[in-house]
Amino acid sequence: MTLNKILVAFDGSENSFKAVEYVGNIVKHYPICRVLILYVERLPDKDLYPDDEIWVSQCKKNEVEMTEKLSLAKQTLIKQGVSADVVTDQYFASCKSPFHDTDICTTGRSIGMDILRIREEGNYDTVVIGRRGVSKAEEFLFGSVSTKVVQSAADCTVWVVN
Amino acid sequence: MSTDVKKLIHKYMPDSQMSRFGKIFTDSTEFMNIDYSDVMKLGNEHFLVLKNEQERRFGLVDPKYWVKRVKHLESGRSQILKLAFYETFPMYIGPFEIKCYRSPRKEARILDLVKGDMRFMQGYSKNDIAGNNVRVLDIIRGKRLDVVVHDIPVDHKTYFHEYFPDIFEKFIGACEAISFLHSHDEKHGDVRRDHLWVESGTGAYRWIDFDYAFELYENPFGLDIFGLKSILVYLVGKANLTMQTLLELGTENSILNTLNSGDYSVVIGNRVVNVKKIYNYIPNSLNNILMHLSSSSSVFYESVDELLVDMNNSLKEIRSL
Repeated sequence: MTLNKILVAFDGSENSFKAVEYVGNIVKHYPICRVLILYVERLPDKDLYPDDEIWVSQCKKNEVEMTEKLSLAKQTLIKQGVSADVVTDQYFASCKSPFHDTDICTTGRSIGMDILRIREEGNYDTVVIGRRGVSKAEEFLFGSVSTKVVQSAADCTVWVVN
Repeated sequence: MSTDVKKLIHKYMPDSQMSRFGKIFTDSTEFMNIDYSDVMKLGNEHFLVLKNEQERRFGLVDPKYWVKRVKHLESGRSQILKLAFYETFPMYIGPFEIKCYRSPRKEARILDLVKGDMRFMQGYSKNDIAGNNVRVLDIIRGKRLDVVVHDIPVDHKTYFHEYFPDIFEKFIGACEAISFLHSHDEKHGDVRRDHLWVESGTGAYRWIDFDYAFELYENPFGLDIFGLKSILVYLVGKANLTMQTLLELGTENSILNTLNSGDYSVVIGNRVVNVKKIYNYIPNSLNNILMHLSSSSSVFYESVDELLVDMNNSLKEIRSL
């Protein structure tokens, strides 16, 4: 397997920052072609808000926060010594986003499958993802993005960072 | 104001013996203040409040002040008004606490989606003058499915061979109803035994209460699927099979001694899902479905459709027994 284009799945959590740092430590002296830090948007559920106005305001707040975190993650890699020329970030918006009007978007059905779709389309050879360490019962009820990625990934390497 | 209510009662219920006449409300924001003998006015419709609905769980009676039993004065029909109540509360499933939200607009949207589909409760929503979403629901006359099953006065073997196949077939229909919601990106939100009713007369299985909402990202329909499987385990076992209930049922020690941790639910650790160990005439095709809920399973159903495929195959086998 090659290590040329890496996709780092990012959700703004401490674990996903660890995954970014892990990648930085490995590839800082490696002639890498591209590192993409990818955030797949998780819109707050509209039904949890009394009206659209409050929901849109929450969406905006979340997007601003996540964009800042993505930028911080990118700077982390660059500070570690990865060339700024190869590091990019992507805010992959929800199809139901009030701010993004695009056909290329996440339906919200499975973040894991969205990550793999973007990996395939961008020909990334390696996917890196942090792990929360959920129990079998939690995975059963709530699902696990890292498990989904590990179980469904084909033609690529997956690093799961604890 | 009470004279207005009195006039309405005399107009629409001339034979009424009511002696108390409350107020007419057009704004349901302060729903605690709306009580017996008041009238809720929505557009041109009037609903006479008869009582607050109550929830009975674990032996406790809990009044639901935002749910009113009413009489629709124009038609004379008994109905239920569900008033907007933005409650956040913990829902417990096994050891897990899930933050749950009561969402009037989710329920209103699903009522529109399932209009005319008798697998679901029926109703519509209207806003009051303050913009609160009020759902007007038809009452389902009947009993909870689990109560119906529990009350069948036969031993398990007779139940399984004579009653279960029909119950299973109808339950598959109820699962198809949930699959229909999922195909429209909607969750029921609270699939549990007391939300599936058997209608008197028709015998139809009908889902009620769609107002629970919660945030689940990687497995948005996971809780609904878990709920369906849990109901199925109950229907197959004709009870919640725990060590305690098995002892009460007089299950032999030689059977109980064979139970191990892998025979119990992955989520609710004291509930036996390997029902075949208790009742050995249960076919493998059915028991295998239940075992997807066990702590020994490494594969889970990711969609109701996957569950339906296995249930339909099992039903065919059971019908041919």
